[in-house]
Amino acid sequence: MPLPSLSRLAPAVLLLTPAVARAEPVDFARDVRPLLSNACFKCHGPASQMGKVRLDTREGAVKSGAIVPGRPDKSTLVERICEPDDEARMPPPEAGKRLTPAQIQTLKQWIAEGAEYTPHWAFGRVTRPQVPNTKHQTRNTIDQFVFARLEKAGLTPSAEADKSTLIRRVTLDLTGLLPTPAEVDAFLRDESPDAYEKLVDRLLASPHYGERQARHWLDLARYADSNGYTIDGPRSIWPYRDWVIRALNNDLPFDQFTTQQLAGDLLPGATADQKVATGFHRNTSFNEEGGTDAEQFRVERTVDRTNTTGAVWLGLTVGCAQCHTHKYDPITAHDYYRLYAFFDSCDEPTMPLGGPPNLEATIAKLGHMEAWIQKNGGSREDIDLVKVEIKRAQGKLTTTLVMRERAATRVTHVQIRGDFLRKGDVVQPGYPSALGTTPESKKRLTRLDLARWMVSRDNPLTARVTVNREWQKFFGRGIVETENDFGMQGNLPTHPDLLDWLAVEFMEGHGWSMKKLHRQIVTSAAYRQASTHRADLTAQDPRNLLLGRQTRLRLEAEVIRDAALTASGKLNTKIGGPGVYPPQPKEVFAFTQSQRNWPESKGPDRFRRGVYTYIWRQSQHPLLTTFDGADAQTACTRRNRSNTPLQALHLANDPVFVELATELGRRIEKSGGPDDAAKVRFAFRACFARDPDTGEAARLLAYLEAQRRTNPTTAWPATARVLMNLDEFITRE
Amino acid sequence: MTLSPDDARTLAATRRHFFRDCGVGVGAMALSALLNRDAHAQPAARRDPLAPKAPHYAPKAKAVIFLFMAGAPSQLELFEPKPELNRLNGQVVPTSFTEGKRFAFIKGDARLLGSRRTFARAGQCGMDISELYPRHREIADELCWLRGMKTDVFNHGPAKCFVNTGSPQFGRPRMGSWLTYGLGSESDSRPGVVVLQSGPRGPRGGAALYSSGFLPSTYQGVPFLRGPSPILDLAPPPGYDTRRQGEFTDAVRDLNRHRRDATGDPEIDTRIAAYEMAYRMQTAAPELMDLSKETRRTLEMYGAEPGRPSFAANCLLARRLVERGVRFIQLYHTDWDHHGGSLDLTRPLDQICRETDGPCAALVKDLKQRGMLDDTLVVWGGEFGRTPMGENRETIGRDHHIDAYTMWLAGGGVKRGFLYGRSDEIGYNVVENPVHVHDLQATILHLMGMDHTKLTYRFQGRDYRLTDVHGNIVRDILA
Repeated sequence: MPLPSLSRLAPAVLLLTPAVARAEPVDFARDVRPLLSNACFKCHGPASQMGKVRLDTREGAVKSGAIVPGRPDKSTLVERICEPDDEARMPPPEAGKRLTPAQIQTLKQWIAEGAEYTPHWAFGRVTRPQVPNTKHQTRNTIDQFVFARLEKAGLTPSAEADKSTLIRRVTLDLTGLLPTPAEVDAFLRDESPDAYEKLVDRLLASPHYGERQARHWLDLARYADSNGYTIDGPRSIWPYRDWVIRALNNDLPFDQFTTQQLAGDLLPGATADQKVATGFHRNTSFNEEGGTDAEQFRVERTVDRTNTTGAVWLGLTVGCAQCHTHKYDPITAHDYYRLYAFFDSCDEPTMPLGGPPNLEATIAKLGHMEAWIQKNGGSREDIDLVKVEIKRAQGKLTTTLVMRERAATRVTHVQIRGDFLRKGDVVQPGYPSALGTTPESKKRLTRLDLARWMVSRDNPLTARVTVNREWQKFFGRGIVETENDFGMQGNLPTHPDLLDWLAVEFMEGHGWSMKKLHRQIVTSAAYRQASTHRADLTAQDPRNLLLGRQTRLRLEAEVIRDAALTASGKLNTKIGGPGVYPPQPKEVFAFTQSQRNWPESKGPDRFRRGVYTYIWRQSQHPLLTTFDGADAQTACTRRNRSNTPLQALHLANDPVFVELATELGRRIEKSGGPDDAAKVRFAFRACFARDPDTGEAARLLAYLEAQRRTNPTTAWPATARVLMNLDEFITRE
Repeated sequence: MTLSPDDARTLAATRRHFFRDCGVGVGAMALSALLNRDAHAQPAARRDPLAPKAPHYAPKAKAVIFLFMAGAPSQLELFEPKPELNRLNGQVVPTSFTEGKRFAFIKGDARLLGSRRTFARAGQCGMDISELYPRHREIADELCWLRGMKTDVFNHGPAKCFVNTGSPQFGRPRMGSWLTYGLGSESDSRPGVVVLQSGPRGPRGGAALYSSGFLPSTYQGVPFLRGPSPILDLAPPPGYDTRRQGEFTDAVRDLNRHRRDATGDPEIDTRIAAYEMAYRMQTAAPELMDLSKETRRTLEMYGAEPGRPSFAANCLLARRLVERGVRFIQLYHTDWDHHGGSLDLTRPLDQICRETDGPCAALVKDLKQRGMLDDTLVVWGGEFGRTPMGENRETIGRDHHIDAYTMWLAGGGVKRGFLYGRSDEIGYNVVENPVHVHDLQATILHLMGMDHTKLTYRFQGRDYRLTDVHGNIVRDILA
């Protein structure tokens, strides 16, 4: 591997920055703010102004004399960062972030040029940028942005991937399944110019699209079928999971998708479906341990709702402001508790679905009765009796967890240092002040107002954050790499104009349609590029930030299961319903307090997609824990893609995969064609949507022969096991 | 050079966020191109993200064995005789002690409960050890006794999480995962973190007890299961002997190499290495688990029997794991939650003490006689302690107590036969040299050669660390 050529780049990157800084004006957002944010804001920022010096606003910096615009020689900032005495020099040694000479030069130049502060890029209104031109062949507007950027860097895009790669890639990305050999054949035969677009439209219309996309959203929703903490009792909230699948299959526009989940219960004439959607914020953990303080854990759930809302829609780490004003971003503790206040006055009822019309009222009445008995010191027997009645009433039908606004609102206080027992100022629901203006009104704002503000055209973050996360699904990395941090400490976008163009298109052009956004991305030439590594790209853009090629991505845990199910031909295509129990070793519960119920699914339920596997928060199926599944504790905005020996053991030896490999082996024997060569081709089509080359075919046949000598009846199942263990099997090329 | 200034700056600006991708989805070529600083966070020459890395400074300990007494042992029955508490037995606790405090089960009118156990001073150091832990008297002078432990949370789940991750909220990485993230693994056929379990029930917490939280699952702990095949899916499927499993591994490797050549993706090399390590684990595990090769004397000292799962067998296994290069071994033993009722401070406590006393002592002695104690740190303790007040139940028991309890350390760079910290006359509060859980965590990382303020990982826009924003190294106890 050409390592020497890489070592040439690293110094080039380091050397170019200062050299260029002298050649052209310094850009505050790109060059200066990250530097100040990293080295200074923690002590001289929004939360703390040591020595009365504040550097995150121009006003503050000029007032203290830290910066004298145009005069680096008069600015105390420059003086302090250039102190010859190591102890006196800023930032102090214990901060561990000393400035390099190049960084100091950048700061000096910026002050000399007038020390202009420009607003943080992500907090300004999204506007439609100009579309650049490129000499490279494009398929849609996305390509103009991506290829113009490559062109500027003197790089060329990669050629389109071959059709086999394309059908496997786009089928996995849109539906999470492998294309069947018949689908592959049909696509390879279709020579019409829009063969690929037809394929995309078929996949977008597939009911499996909703399942695949829902799993991404359920990561954000921290969805699980149990209560978490140590007791981790079961809960019924799968109707919410099914609501997400349906909404995505029906292409419910993202603004309504948002409103229904944050505040479906507050919509005028809310339907049962819209109430089910509020389950989004009922996916918090719930502590059932004996001897807990109920209010403490209600507060923890409310904190979780606040933080999750910040992460999912705003792409901000608002949680930092729970204990103190944010060290880097303009979010004060008051801002935090104003956002918190939207979720502070909720009840958390269980909603029956269907059944006799008065059942909900009956359950509610029994609930009140239980509370009354408890309050008035009734006997434990009486309470148990009522509980049994509630269980019986609920058992008559499916239930799900929903949010409901309390009739009497709670008074929300700032919690001093995040301690719910230390109450500070009283606050009203309101938006973070750096992002939006809370209207002056006597009427208290509700979750519905919050939801509508989130998806208003003026909100600078929701559309950017959302299209960025969608982009990440198809390229493995967002345009903003820190998909969960659009604040000062986050990365700058690699393609800022593309991000804003996609965001405007999403809101205005597509009317918040997710399917239109997905279609736009997957039909671009940028998406359709080959993922093969190229020496020139490896040398100049080793992380492929400029997208000169596609990226090979290891599949997510659930998709690995789904791929094995499709290849083996055993997939049960049923959509929705309660969680199921594919086989798992009983040892999974060795580390839990209670032995959990795992009534192993027999019959067709054994072969349901990964998204339907019952999720015990504290003892998830080993497939999920081994392949970086979401932990269902906090919003997971991006899955890790690790590559470990335990994954190898799982694919090679787990009874589920061995069973599916055996089924694939039988399928190859039965439908693979007249001879071994044809069978190997069929097997490659089933697993990789392509034909083997001669080397691959020869190696696989040699293995097959060796297995025949050991045991002729299991030779094909053994061969299928090899295929399902190849890197390519669990990779989207 | 065709890279434009913009590109160069974008590359530089995004560089810092690259660390979290180490070995996750990016090949070694990209790594070597961009990683020059922050030595502890980057893989060395090996492509494997578990490859050993340089510590921040010379470590005192190479491995940690954490004997986690799940459920929280009563320090007042084991290590802390309190004559004044015995004298006040049955009286309501003075409100000066309980004002503003919260408890799991007891209410304000709780009455003090004296201990019925007899204590004696042990060793040169004179540590008080009760009749329940006689074998500990033999090792008293090897141990560093922390008599002023404090923690923040008083429910089992959150408290266990707190000891392991520095936070009561689930979802953060365990101490062992932090260590493997920081140091890599010394072993090429075993994972860096192993979790063992014994006792009547699971230790509450499930996967959260060994998960790597937001760190990539590369750094996840591996729970060892009972029985001859300790790791899930370690055994090949029926019908695969060693030869046939070897043929399988060879075929997978050859075809993966073929694909690597076609795609040029170095990530496939990592996959090939992972399969090779998995194969080595398969061949190494039976030898590791087979206690019958230990001498009879050793087995008797621990009280372990080959083929019979027990805390004693786990202690012996822990030593064998350290010998084989595993960095962090955590043993959970349940159930110490002696509230009263069916689990009270009489016979149930006698029994769990019998199960744990001898094996703990044997482990420390065994490590010492093999010359391993100097660079192995042993930690003993629970998620909190127990109250000086009794609970209002039918038989004697104590509630959860976070303000004063006892733990011990041994080996790995801490003082021997050293008593540190003191609680008040009824054992309610620490009056001298308190050690908070975050301090203990900072100290353990320090002994392993890691600076707890520098071992960070960026997640959701923030640099997280094991000790959050707290923790001070307890320098007084360092040897």
